Amino acid sequence: MVNFIKRDKDDIYAKPLLGVLFKNQKFLTILKIAISMLFLYALYFGFTHTGKENTFTTAVFWGIFWSLFMVLTLPTFGRIFCGICPHGFMGKYITKYGLKKTMPKWLQNRYIGVFLLVFGWWGVYYMFPNLFRTPLGTAILFAVMTLIAFIVYFLYKDMSYCKYICPIGTLTRAYSKLSFTWLGTYKSACNDCRTFECATACPYNLKPFTFDNRNSMTDCTLCMDCSSACEAVSFKYKNPSFSLFSKFQVLKAEVWAFILILASISITMSFHHGIGRSNAAGDMIWSKTAEFLKHYIDFGAIDPIGLFAFVYALIFTILAAVIGMFIAAKILKKDFNTVFYDLGYSYAPLFILGSIAHSFEMFFLKGYEHIAEGFAYGFGFTLDVAPLANRGDGWLHVFDLLKWVAIIWALIILYKRVKLLDVSRLRKIAAFPFAASLIIFFLAVNMYVGYIFKTYGKASNGHASHGGVERVNKKSEKQDLPTFIKPEFSDTIYFSEINPTAEKKSYGGGHSHGGARGRVATKEVWPVFEDAEGKKNCLGALEAKLYLLDANLNTKEATVSKDAGCKSVTFEMPDNGYYNLFYVNKDVKDNTLYITTAKYEFLRFNHSNYAIYDKKKMDAHTIKEAPFDILRVREDDETFFHALYSGKKLRVKVVLEEEAIEGADVTLSTKTLWSKTLKTDKNGVATFTLIEDYFPNWNEFNKRYKNEFLLSASYVKDVSGVDNERQYQKINYSATYPSYYYPNERGYKSYAYGLSAAVLIMIISGFVIYMYRTRREKPFKEVRFDEEN
Amino acid sequence: MKRIRDFINRADIRRFRFWLQLFFFVLFIYGGYFAINLGNSIPVFSCGYDRQVGGMCYFLPLQHQLARPLDVLFSAASISVLIGFITFLLWFVVFNKAWCGYACPLGTMQDWLTGLRKKMGIRYSTYTQPQFDKLKKIKYIMLALVILAPMGVGMGILGGEWRTAFCEICPGRMITPLFVGDVSQWSLDFSTKTAMILTTLGLIFTGLFVIGSFVKKRFFCFFCPMSAMHYIFSDAALLKLKKDGDKCTKCGDCYNVCDMQIKDIADDVKSTNILRDDCILCMKCVAACPEDDALHVDILNMKLFSSTKGGFAKRMQMDKLEKKDD
Repeated sequence: MVNFIKRDKDDIYAKPLLGVLFKNQKFLTILKIAISMLFLYALYFGFTHTGKENTFTTAVFWGIFWSLFMVLTLPTFGRIFCGICPHGFMGKYITKYGLKKTMPKWLQNRYIGVFLLVFGWWGVYYMFPNLFRTPLGTAILFAVMTLIAFIVYFLYKDMSYCKYICPIGTLTRAYSKLSFTWLGTYKSACNDCRTFECATACPYNLKPFTFDNRNSMTDCTLCMDCSSACEAVSFKYKNPSFSLFSKFQVLKAEVWAFILILASISITMSFHHGIGRSNAAGDMIWSKTAEFLKHYIDFGAIDPIGLFAFVYALIFTILAAVIGMFIAAKILKKDFNTVFYDLGYSYAPLFILGSIAHSFEMFFLKGYEHIAEGFAYGFGFTLDVAPLANRGDGWLHVFDLLKWVAIIWALIILYKRVKLLDVSRLRKIAAFPFAASLIIFFLAVNMYVGYIFKTYGKASNGHASHGGVERVNKKSEKQDLPTFIKPEFSDTIYFSEINPTAEKKSYGGGHSHGGARGRVATKEVWPVFEDAEGKKNCLGALEAKLYLLDANLNTKEATVSKDAGCKSVTFEMPDNGYYNLFYVNKDVKDNTLYITTAKYEFLRFNHSNYAIYDKKKMDAHTIKEAPFDILRVREDDETFFHALYSGKKLRVKVVLEEEAIEGADVTLSTKTLWSKTLKTDKNGVATFTLIEDYFPNWNEFNKRYKNEFLLSASYVKDVSGVDNERQYQKINYSATYPSYYYPNERGYKSYAYGLSAAVLIMIISGFVIYMYRTRREKPFKEVRFDEEN
Repeated sequence: MKRIRDFINRADIRRFRFWLQLFFFVLFIYGGYFAINLGNSIPVFSCGYDRQVGGMCYFLPLQHQLARPLDVLFSAASISVLIGFITFLLWFVVFNKAWCGYACPLGTMQDWLTGLRKKMGIRYSTYTQPQFDKLKKIKYIMLALVILAPMGVGMGILGGEWRTAFCEICPGRMITPLFVGDVSQWSLDFSTKTAMILTTLGLIFTGLFVIGSFVKKRFFCFFCPMSAMHYIFSDAALLKLKKDGDKCTKCGDCYNVCDMQIKDIADDVKSTNILRDDCILCMKCVAACPEDDALHVDILNMKLFSSTKGGFAKRMQMDKLEKKDD
């Protein structure tokens, strides 16, 4: 026994505050008693308050213990939960006065715990999703577990319950290998030791002085009893998961725990709660299997979709791991078992880091609220706190980064463990991708969930446990359908990028984000007209013909949205280039044929390096289906990045029956009610200068401010004819073209200041350097002493 | 084989480097005129603001990718981020940091300014060792800016001007387009306060870049985040700068010729892989080493270029010196 030792710098016991937290026996005992009291109180509370209003019991068990505290501490500090676990704490004293028998061989099986967790808990959870969510269910579950634990503690020695029966015993042992803490001993002191106080103090009958040499803490639960028995015990900071980088005695149950828990939590959740919330949920194999078997089997209260999601997740995961490792073993020319269990440890980060991401997200969304209000309820006062974040907050996604960390970490561990094998380098390189099969599978499932949501969208009836979705949908249903006014002939109809009846401006004006490759961008526009008060009205029904001229100059008919409400037109833009949408309407009134064209032009560009600006295709084109049309004439130096700016010229060409026409009236009117009317020249062209009419305060200036304007052209032709058995004497043509321009660069950029700033810095820094160097290089001056004095 | 090796080891690396740098300069700055496009994952500062760029600096697309909303970034769209990153790695892995010493247009410009200074007969400046140790950390701060600023935009914490915050303050953005006659980057953007501050900083750094690299060799490379990014992955690279400590006499020739003032190249006789985070793999040290095989550049563990007594003597033109003595 050692009474004093000079501790290393990285020893947590030597740190001022952490040393007390982890070593001080009085503090630890008080902490353990407090947690045991809380545990028992929550159990008691669960039995007495069985109603839904009891949020306390669920807050203790499902808010804090699992999953927040567990997943947070396991890959960081290690099994500190086991150190303060009420079962272990009370079990120590029960064992002390118990029968101390040796556990029978058939019970000394770590798979009991793993299977209890995977099938007894997760399997049941997916079959009966609401069973354990109630306070009473929770209380019964934990009371039963406590009873079993106490019986096993009483009968058998060495805390065998923790090792073999406890559902999370093997799990914590396995995942704690990722942590950055390590309980070991100071070798210098242990070499002379003949008394082994640390081993005798250990309730688990372990030998802490062998941990360093074995490169494994075996079943240590960090109860810290040994550290009070002998000062030579250390608790050190290490590199995370460092023990996985070198050899140790593998435990098969641990590898299976990694695989089964990954399957039953991460993968099943991705299947059941992830894809299950999308519109494609019904097409998935587990839903189909459930549907199919429903005809033959009566599932009763069981949720068959959840059950089969779980079953398929298990099958897929195990197959991915086993097949990959089998091929890897063949390539490495080694026994399958050694390869599988040696390299299987690389699966460790996958589940636990992904779970941290989920736990954090849930904590900010509702966990915090649940825990705070639950504890307040449990201790008899009321509290109302707001959740720390709302669903849809952008910053919550930062936790998704952890999934990538998990994958990279897993690949690093695999790399280090492959390195340990004694086979040729070429074989190792060839075997690596196969050994990584489960890691790749995990990556693929995550990507697939994202892909499903991108392609099929979120289902409107959200999953029961994620209430946020439902609320949003209810709101949109409540929205009253606006009453639609039919446009008069004098009204000009044009396309708007914004739904005039929508309460909030939809993001990007309906233009889908081009983030995902391979997905076709779409654009949604609304034909609108302004009434006498200048208010935008949309159309409730559309009689006009719609045409789309795509980037490859193919014309096809476009269709209008089918759902009630504002009519809109959505079109896909697979290629780079201009997309033109035409709205062409013909009607006769007062012996006049009104031909109205509304045009919408959009330049689609996905910023690809390989896009070629083909001047012919990019030129302004009209279609024969539109008798009267406005074209924006392209300038010579236009590129895909073209945009209009104030101060720039805008040339507009008016075409009648595909021929440029002279003398048509063209009006440009901006949102600020400035307008100007010109007549087209003999080439059919009218030239406008875009005015500067955006004058915000300096600090509110937005260089991407869209100054919307509308071009409208009209022309009257005295021709008589018949249209749909209605006579007319003249034709009134009109066309509209909405667009926008940005503030001119000159409005916010200053070249003069820019150049002078750079030149000034050059002069100053040059001068400073010159001064510095001349001063430093002072010539040597000889100091002469006058020898006569 | 031996003759080829001898030829390489006796080669005039300075002239070779000058022409290769010129080649890459033309390739990257004027590549667009020759319809050359090497993609946009190039691990050097061949600036994307230059419209004729022959292959874009990886940081510009990286920042744009990272500025996506986080839910987009961490979904299927991350494939495009990964592809860009893997392309960057593939480019990088072949030449390691020789990208800096041989291909980077901004580095080449600094070397030309150094040449100008030499012609004018002005002495160069150096940092003291403590100054150097402090300054070299700046590049990691810059790298953090490259990665975190756009992610802040994606999270919605920072405004859109932060999307390419590093590019705004990078001297390359202002100087590179000058070579194709584009002065549009030499302006202050008054549209928002952030934009104004960033562009002003950019102009200040440009001024410092010009003056700094005139008096100090490779002035900007000490602060270059690309150099920091290179160093993180340099262990995986095929081209390696190695040192045989047993053969080193610690004469200090390598340290004296080093543009980047790396002390380890002379001092460290223990590590075999002598590439440090500031190194630009210009191979001047190998050329200046008078000991056989003390320093050598390896590709896939095969010696590509190693220091030899003969090569040293040839480069130092010792035969001429001896004749003079006669």
